Amino acid sequence: MLTTPVADAAETRANATYEAILWAFSRPGMPRRMPHSGEAGVIEALIDRECAVHAADPLLIPPLLQAGARLVEPEAADHVFAGRLTDPALLGRCRAGSALYPDDGATLVIRARFGQGAGVRFVGPGVDGGVKLRIGDLPEGFWRDRARCVRYPAGVDILFLDGEGLIGLPRSTTVEVM
Amino acid sequence: MTLADLARPWAAMSYGFLDASAKRELRRKMIKAVCVPGCQMPYASREVPMARGWGTGGLQVSLTLINPRTRVKVIDQGADDSVNAASIRRFLARVSGAPVTLDTLEADLIQSRHRVPEEILRSDQVLVLQVPNPEPLRPVQPNMSIARQMHADADYGRMWLQLYEQIVRSGRVMQGASYPSMVNGRHVMTPSPIPRWDVPKLHMARHLTILSAGREKRIFAVPPFTRVEPLVFDDVPYRVEDHGGLTCARSGARGVFMNEIPQSDGGSAHEVSDSEWGVKTIRHRDGEAVRMGETWYRDGRFVAPRPGPDPGPRSVRTDADPDPVPGGGAP
Amino acid sequence: MAYVATRGGERAIEQSERLFRAELGRIDAARVAQVRQALPYLVDRVMGEASLYDEDLAALAMAQTGGDLYEAVLVLRAWRTTQPRLAVAAPVEQGQLFTHRRISAAFKDIPGGQVLGPTLDYSHRVLATDVLSGGAVDPVPVAPAARAAPAQYPSVSAWQAANDLADLPAPDGVTGEAIPDLTREPLLFPARRAHTLQSLARAETGGVLALGYAAMRGYGQAHPTVNELRLAEAEIVVAHPDGTEFSAGRVKVSQAEVVSKKGDKLTLGFAATLGWNEVKCIAAATLDLNSAGAPKGSATEEEFFLYHTEGVEASGFCIHFKLPHYVTFQSSLDAMRDAAARRSARSPQQEPAE
Repeated sequence: MLTTPVADAAETRANATYEAILWAFSRPGMPRRMPHSGEAGVIEALIDRECAVHAADPLLIPPLLQAGARLVEPEAADHVFAGRLTDPALLGRCRAGSALYPDDGATLVIRARFGQGAGVRFVGPGVDGGVKLRIGDLPEGFWRDRARCVRYPAGVDILFLDGEGLIGLPRSTTVEVM
Repeated sequence: MTLADLARPWAAMSYGFLDASAKRELRRKMIKAVCVPGCQMPYASREVPMARGWGTGGLQVSLTLINPRTRVKVIDQGADDSVNAASIRRFLARVSGAPVTLDTLEADLIQSRHRVPEEILRSDQVLVLQVPNPEPLRPVQPNMSIARQMHADADYGRMWLQLYEQIVRSGRVMQGASYPSMVNGRHVMTPSPIPRWDVPKLHMARHLTILSAGREKRIFAVPPFTRVEPLVFDDVPYRVEDHGGLTCARSGARGVFMNEIPQSDGGSAHEVSDSEWGVKTIRHRDGEAVRMGETWYRDGRFVAPRPGPDPGPRSVRTDADPDPVPGGGAP
Repeated sequence: MAYVATRGGERAIEQSERLFRAELGRIDAARVAQVRQALPYLVDRVMGEASLYDEDLAALAMAQTGGDLYEAVLVLRAWRTTQPRLAVAAPVEQGQLFTHRRISAAFKDIPGGQVLGPTLDYSHRVLATDVLSGGAVDPVPVAPAARAAPAQYPSVSAWQAANDLADLPAPDGVTGEAIPDLTREPLLFPARRAHTLQSLARAETGGVLALGYAAMRGYGQAHPTVNELRLAEAEIVVAHPDGTEFSAGRVKVSQAEVVSKKGDKLTLGFAATLGWNEVKCIAAATLDLNSAGAPKGSATEEEFFLYHTEGVEASGFCIHFKLPHYVTFQSSLDAMRDAAARRSARSPQQEPAE
């Protein structure tokens, strides 16, 4: 009655990218590799015409429009693609949701450099004890601002990208700056 | 642009049944579920070719995660051979071409109704639990809007009161399966109707658990290394089913959760609930070479998984330095 | 793998399905055409509950499920899930509908007149047993009217609003893709207006009737008057990517508007669905009329009636109780036995003497 459908290239890519994203958010601070470098894969896996997106980096606007997203200000966005984060105020403008609707908290995608910058220690769900790591190329005061925009269970969830590498930082993680 | 440009080439069915937009919605909601452990996230929950209440929530998660290399195991009441498990397994294989397995150790993705396997799950495995009723507060508050507000306020007083009343009335907590549990110290969650025996397997585990209720359109998750603490009073400890001392009449296995089989002589026999563990025990007894994983329970007692990292396969270059905190994993 | 029981489970489900299908016999295009032709009102009801307008698919679903309507609706909804959403049709106002029947109980006559249209309302419900003994029921030709009736009729509530008897709902400017879609978003409460109406449109007819009837019998605050009941066809106007608007065809729709006479002004309750299904629309509009300010947990509270008239969910959950539940049962037995043991340990003197 049914023949088994075959996964096309887009499906295969999106599936593998999402596997990496889910793994990264499930294990904050532990890097994971996507099949392709950069935001394009993340957009393909997550974004479509049901999304309201803010793109701080103009280069990301075409692929987001192609995916069908509505471009909005950060305050109205469910996904924020910061590119390289240059505006320290952006974090504070993102939607954090509420205790009633924590799912309204935005997902932020930020480019960073893994293994550089200040040392931090992640503690919380997904972390076996604690994990020490260094994430660089972030504006001054980033970790303080990030702590401010989490009022658990409200808050934003951050995905750091470094080429093909991914690190997840869910709102449930406590970050200690070393 | 033409109408044809807007639509993809026609195909009788999308890979994995769900279309790309349904999958993306589930992906987005799964992220939120993982980021706020134990908190119920609403999702659209598409209709799938199976009746509501028969695992459609778990099925949608499996269909989203599956790819042609995902090795899938499906269980119902612990058994791979249950008719509904067979039906779901057949459907998953049919729409994805994914290989199926009965062996917990071999599986990448385990979709289950009412049980967590007896063998310890690894960090590279995902457990998908089917959830009939996602709302732990429903016995004390059937109205979902009010229950949502109670979660927002972490207002679990009535929950505690209910447990207290049971202790006063019956001398113990009478909750059987679906034991309400506090996740990450913030949200009370139903672990789905798994027996009390299985709840400690979610606490500080290495694997990711996704719980999905298709009919009620709610998804929630327990990431690895997350506290899942059954609601108990300090002086009335949590008690799993008294199965530690039972022996399986078919396999001789001991120290695992059992099914009770009434006998015509008025008594009862017991049989391993995790059917594949039973099969392995029999094959091992008969001298076959069989890989038996480490179990959560040893000699009928729950043993916390050994501490230490298990990053799983395919991790990338990292300056991450896992730094386990002693005592973080004890239930 | 040589574990026989697994193959047993798979074999069992396959054979049980064969047993069911053997009873139905061959299903082909002729069978589907027969169902479609013979049972248009059932086809309508199924299309409405499936929220999928396609008479052939609905007839096919009924044929392949042997007329188990819950199964037929489920099959259609599951098929619907796999279809892309290509376009959103332009909104249709009541006055634009190609109307076959439009009646009002509120006035003896209404602008445009009472249009009875096709109905069994005044027929004598006598079973035509002659058919079973070789006779046939041949429809008697309809006598044409002297003047052709107009195709379009204004809405009754528009007249009431113009006469300051009712306040029409504020116009909803949301159009196109921005219209909330219940099949792509979860239903949350308080529900968005679009979600409420969509949910009622695809609700199970019997469920809506049961709760709507409860409201009519006094479990609701407001007693409905049928302001307007309409069976019609709606033009599906969509835009081509180049901007040209065109009609993709017409679908049968029914709608009911009921009013309550309690306050200073009439208050309105509304429901509409795909296909012609009067009972469902009147009952659903009555629930809508009663939902404002309904007590939490009452049958006329929105959360209560929307959840409990969702036929696919309700029937699925109902039949899921057939699935084995022996693990949960075992878990409860353990607690029960332990509690009993504690009781007898605490008060051995109360045990009956053997």
